Amino acid sequence: MAGMQFGIFSVGDVTVDPTTGRAPTEAERIQATVTMAKKVEEVGLDVFATGEHHNPPFVPSSPTTLLGFIAAQTSRLILSTSTTLITTNDPVKIAEDFSVLQHLSGGRADLMLGRGNTGPVYPWFGQDIRAAVPLTVEHYGLLRRLWREKVVDWDGEFRSSLQGFTLAPQPLDGVPPFVWHGSIRTPEIAELAAYYGDGFFANHIFWPASHTERMVGLYRKRFEHYRHGGADQAIVGLGGQVFMRPNSQDAVNEFRPYFDNAPVYGHGPSLEEFTAQTPLTVGSPQQVIDRTLGFRDYVGDYQRQLFLIDHAGLPLKTVLEQLDMLGEEVVPVLRKEFAIGRPERVPDAPTHESLVRAAAEAAADDGSDDTTEEVDT
Amino acid sequence: MSKLVVVTGGLREPSSTRLLADRIDAAVREQLTDQGVETTSEIIELRPIGRAIMDALLTGFAGSDLEAVFEAIDDADGMIAVSPAFNASYSGLFKSFFDVLPEETLSDMPVLIAATGGTERHSLVLEHAMRPMFSYLHAIVSPTGVYAATDDFGAHLSERIGQAARDFARLLRSCGPRQHRDVFTEEINAMESLLRDSAAEPGPGEPLD
Repeated sequence: MAGMQFGIFSVGDVTVDPTTGRAPTEAERIQATVTMAKKVEEVGLDVFATGEHHNPPFVPSSPTTLLGFIAAQTSRLILSTSTTLITTNDPVKIAEDFSVLQHLSGGRADLMLGRGNTGPVYPWFGQDIRAAVPLTVEHYGLLRRLWREKVVDWDGEFRSSLQGFTLAPQPLDGVPPFVWHGSIRTPEIAELAAYYGDGFFANHIFWPASHTERMVGLYRKRFEHYRHGGADQAIVGLGGQVFMRPNSQDAVNEFRPYFDNAPVYGHGPSLEEFTAQTPLTVGSPQQVIDRTLGFRDYVGDYQRQLFLIDHAGLPLKTVLEQLDMLGEEVVPVLRKEFAIGRPERVPDAPTHESLVRAAAEAAADDGSDDTTEEVDT
Repeated sequence: MSKLVVVTGGLREPSSTRLLADRIDAAVREQLTDQGVETTSEIIELRPIGRAIMDALLTGFAGSDLEAVFEAIDDADGMIAVSPAFNASYSGLFKSFFDVLPEETLSDMPVLIAATGGTERHSLVLEHAMRPMFSYLHAIVSPTGVYAATDDFGAHLSERIGQAARDFARLLRSCGPRQHRDVFTEEINAMESLLRDSAAEPGPGEPLD
């Protein structure tokens, strides 16, 4: 799994299939999600990430329950989120849930933090949306301490104080799960990721590529500003949205009713306009390969690519066929092509193993005198 | 040198709203030129970008043509905004355009408001609909607007346009070239301060400035 990681991210929407007029039940949607996640591993991809929502028509309100169940039925798959709400979840509960998931999965858990864009979720969970940015900063600051300090004494504005709190279980091997920060267009989130040297994930599906380019560029610049490494060594992930058939016109014809009725962009621009304006690719596997390889032109060498393939009422059978094509035809080529010309100094996608190694090296460095970090040039 | 944009929301071709917009535009430029201020203006008709405006409402992002329009407005020193009066207000298309225009674009922008309508009974659309909306958007709305009913095109319209143009020219000159806010950088700077002040652990090494 060196170099880049590939996978899928799911919103978890229950949407009517416009070609049949039928929506899956919540039970069917949840089971379909598990089937998809297992298939992701089976076809040789690396990551499955679930969204978090607290209102219909979405089903994933309890991501670590879902991911724990998937972890039990997989052995290699990295389990992640897209996104975990750092604003409305209690950071103590996030620390506990992901610590347990990390232990259960043998270090296959990481998470992507986001603020959430459904206004009423804030009051439902006792928070104020107007304070979203300071809330994010405070909650994440606490989450980091819970994962890094044995005994935490903490005072803040948005949560009751903690005195003598010790997280149980402690992170696996003493290494917290890797954290990504997900955003579409909020510069504050790129700044947060850069400040801590965490990963930055650009949603990159519903908006023009120019926005992604700007946000990733900002994150890379600020990552270097905060001395975590060179701009090209920042950890970048991208979303993407694809629909494939061997013959590209078949893909367009089959996907069009789903596109035209999709909750996010349906009844607006045409499929052709949206494809031209955003990274959505509907066509043959080769077209998906070509378009995806082009992402590197505007974000640089990056670490994680997740595709959205299961929304807008697409049936499970179709989604599994998409995964077959990704696994057999698309991702093997992407792995090979992305590796070409990728400089040595660009880090591989972070894993639990790589973080454990880095922690051991850092500890060894602390033991010796004033070892300065060497950066290959 | 002063750059004006003229946003006109007329739907017909030819359009009396566009006619009014052109006459105000000409009067304002004449005023400024007489006062030695070289002035350019760009007309933005909303009808040709009607679908793009609706797409932006539905998808949350503007297509490239609409982005270009937003940039022209962002770059301007003043705006003349003209809408037909529909159902006791500006037209829906006119409102939708300002709904998708990025926040803060009109902040500190001198704006001359004008409207057309079938009869003079709709004239308060300027004071009850347009002025509050532009005030909300933090524009500096010129005190004198121009309302033109159909009959006004045969009456004293030129004098009222001249008065509004004189007031607007004075406002533009006193406001001077517009200071452009860089909201993106402002947000990053605010976030850096927030992180440094409230982050629970010592921040990373001194930044490389």
